[in-house]
Amino acid sequence: MEERKAFLARYETNTHRLGRICTAVALLLLVGAPFLIGRVIGAQPDMMAVLRGYLAVGLVWTVSSVAEFLIYTPMLGAGGGYLAFITGNLINMKIPCAMNARDIAGTKAGTTENDIVSTLSIATSSLVTIGVLALGVLLMVPLQPLLTSPTLSPAFDNVVPALFGAFGYQYFRKNPKLAALPLALMTVLFVCVPSLTAQTSVLILPAGAITIGLAYRMYRKGRKDQKGKNSV
Amino acid sequence: MLSQLNSPPLYLICGLIILFVAIVCVCFLVRAYRAGKKAGMDPAVLKRAIISSATFSVLPSVGILLGVIALSGSLGTPWPWLRLSVIGALHYETQVAEAAAEQVGIGRLSASTMTPEAFVTIALLMSICIMWGMVLSVLFNKSYLKKIRRRGGDAKKGPEKGGFGDMAVTAMFTGLVSVYFGSYIGGFVSGRGRFTFEGDFTPILVCLASAAVMSVFTWLSAKKGLKWLEGFSIAGSMLIGMLTAVLF
Repeated sequence: MEERKAFLARYETNTHRLGRICTAVALLLLVGAPFLIGRVIGAQPDMMAVLRGYLAVGLVWTVSSVAEFLIYTPMLGAGGGYLAFITGNLINMKIPCAMNARDIAGTKAGTTENDIVSTLSIATSSLVTIGVLALGVLLMVPLQPLLTSPTLSPAFDNVVPALFGAFGYQYFRKNPKLAALPLALMTVLFVCVPSLTAQTSVLILPAGAITIGLAYRMYRKGRKDQKGKNSV
Repeated sequence: MLSQLNSPPLYLICGLIILFVAIVCVCFLVRAYRAGKKAGMDPAVLKRAIISSATFSVLPSVGILLGVIALSGSLGTPWPWLRLSVIGALHYETQVAEAAAEQVGIGRLSASTMTPEAFVTIALLMSICIMWGMVLSVLFNKSYLKKIRRRGGDAKKGPEKGGFGDMAVTAMFTGLVSVYFGSYIGGFVSGRGRFTFEGDFTPILVCLASAAVMSVFTWLSAKKGLKWLEGFSIAGSMLIGMLTAVLF
């Protein structure tokens, strides 16, 4: 048992080391790529325009990135967290994918076992995306008319609702009491202020905080009831 | 300009970065699988998690491919291919590319107005705007997770058991799904004027269809003992949900 504990602790430490190195290298490659491409096509970025652009559009995304880091890192754990931030597409793929794998494996968040399952899930998901996109780019000419046809476009416009429909059933069924209040609040908010639909991601943090607050109350109540039963 | 942006050297640069990320993924995958086995986890469960993640990811990946197609008309194919294979997000890339095009003075994102300088400036801006998740991961992932676990009470219980931390993650995800559900209902009720009920009903319909199929999968898996179906339940539900959007 002690040996297993030591192994899991070692695994986690090494995951952080590997994750930091790989993320730093990926970051360097991604920021360096435009300069390298610039050498090929004979131009370099206009740094003043970059600064202007960053102040105009980048700040919003910086805040969003900070929120994403705070929200998703505990869901994904160490290995999954590093990989997800390197490979992107968090909300429409990586997060639901990791949550689904967690449900299948029956692991608990905050455990090394959950980190392992989450890493397996996100690595697999990223490899599938890389494969599909590579194949798609290779077959771009024959695939383009099919994928962009008006018949199929409603299907691809609704990937996210299809995803959250399936997950909504699973999560709301598990704990309808927990889901009722945030769902009602969000519905009222979007009905009364419809322009907010353009900023859905900004509302994830407050909705999550409300639901966590509710869950904490339920958790405390559950523990109190349990203590009461034990004392009887 | 587009021929320059679709030239072999650009495919090579972008392809090599994607290859690096693919190798990182394989490396993490193998390490995690071995660690899971060594820690005494059931290999069948680990395999089911992998298969489920693979089947689940196919449809959203095709959706992401559409993003590559959409951007390839103005930015060439290699750059959107790189951005959406790695780090990028479907909803982010198009928005930032459009906004960046305005800032570099070419107006809207278009191949006819694109210049080499505008392209590299847009490309750099796209990279910088979304890199903060990675930066924060490098700097704070370890300490943040440690703090969260201590608060969740899990550290005291050892690495195998979850405390409130697990419930908090489930709650966070429930909140997240509520936001999207609420936005679909709000979009329908007030999307074309407050309380007109003339907005887009399709996302609600898709959600309901997908949830209904998921309930069938859950029933088959839990009551009929068809456990293997779990690996395909999300992908299957999504497929039927998306088909509903085509049919109605």
